[in-house]
Amino acid sequence: MKARAAWAAFTAVALLAAAGVATAAGLAPAYQAMVVEPAGLPARAEFDLTAAVQRARKEKRRLYVYLGANDCPYCRKYEAFLEKNAQELVPHFAPYLVVDLRSSLSVQANALFIKVGSSSLPYAEFQRSIGDERARLLVYPSVWLLDGNVKPLMQMPAGTGTFQTVPEQLEILRLEQ
Amino acid sequence: MRRSVLKVLAAGAASWALPAARAAVGGLPTNVGHADSSPEWERLREKLFGGRPIETAASRLQLIVPLRAAYGASVPVKIVSGLPQRPELYVRRLTVLVDKNPSPVAAVLDLTTEIGQADFETRLRVDEYSHIRAIAELSNGELHMSSRYVKVSGGCSAPPNRDQLHNIGKTLLKVPEGVHMDAPTPVDLQVVHPNDTGFELNQVTVMYIPPHFVRSIRVSYGDRKVFDAELDFSISENPAWRFNFVPRGPGTLRADVEDSKEGRYVGTLAIA
Repeated sequence: MKARAAWAAFTAVALLAAAGVATAAGLAPAYQAMVVEPAGLPARAEFDLTAAVQRARKEKRRLYVYLGANDCPYCRKYEAFLEKNAQELVPHFAPYLVVDLRSSLSVQANALFIKVGSSSLPYAEFQRSIGDERARLLVYPSVWLLDGNVKPLMQMPAGTGTFQTVPEQLEILRLEQ
Repeated sequence: MRRSVLKVLAAGAASWALPAARAAVGGLPTNVGHADSSPEWERLREKLFGGRPIETAASRLQLIVPLRAAYGASVPVKIVSGLPQRPELYVRRLTVLVDKNPSPVAAVLDLTTEIGQADFETRLRVDEYSHIRAIAELSNGELHMSSRYVKVSGGCSAPPNRDQLHNIGKTLLKVPEGVHMDAPTPVDLQVVHPNDTGFELNQVTVMYIPPHFVRSIRVSYGDRKVFDAELDFSISENPAWRFNFVPRGPGTLRADVEDSKEGRYVGTLAIA
């Protein structure tokens, strides 16, 4: 029985690997992301960006804020893409401080809060406060490109499916609209 | 007019069976320049405009669309005409296309000089990476086109927002910048309507929601036609349009809306 379970687990991992899907959650170490874990669980998941914003201002960098979920296949796909192409992409991330918000699919819009300084807003309200059109629907994964004042550098799409090739990821980093 | 548009829609739907002609290594298309053609456009062009020449100078017509929008089901589109609507020369028809949508002809607008300026804004569903095109036919027969390549997907099958079904057909008209007598006055028109594409899945029943969308909008001021629009489900839910009209004295601005299930709705706004 144990052998059968072990074989099943091995097969599952092998299939994921064959599909090019990373099994570990979060961005690859090469991106030197600031990892932000949620506070307030299980009632809510509050992600505090305060330290990241302060560091970005100090270092005169922009923020590349990535929201992923530990049980989200699309997140694994984007993370695997970034990891696979790290050598080529990491130098282009230099103007950005990468922030890795680690959530889970069970955290939906009403329970996800973004905190900056003394202000903590639920997802939709946070989006409206910065003029982001993605207030209607929380999609995992999500990326924000923000300046040091937490203002969007450009309107980002829901999800990451439209920038999972190297040229398209570079378009995003160059703020091409 | 409607019949000819429908023929093209049917042809567009049939074209789904045809393979994409150009693809780079890795599967990305190569015709991603904003002014590039596409196999779908070549077919549509032949059906809609025959062999007529189409100019692409930005001075005549400009289409403004972001490369990536927040949602594929709601891509903001702005059309700016470089030509004032004067009797001697004006834009008499505007056609809006989304090359790769299942029904690529999103809108055909039949215009008059009553709009003053042929600028329009709306939101479109875009189903996959595609060119969006606006083609203006002038009163002298010239054709002018502006196009943009956009990178969004899933716009025709996005989960529907059905929280306003009790208000279906409610048609609102506003003049957000106030009334400018004898000058182009911007108007916001919105119809509360799901504009169901037929490709959306009901998450509860796991059945496809039948198509049900705004088919036409006719805008008039007093007894004068401002413009008529033949529409399709490529327009986003709760179809919204910004356009201009020139009020020449007090009157009533009126929008007559008809949907694909023969629902008829009217919105009016008194202009003083």
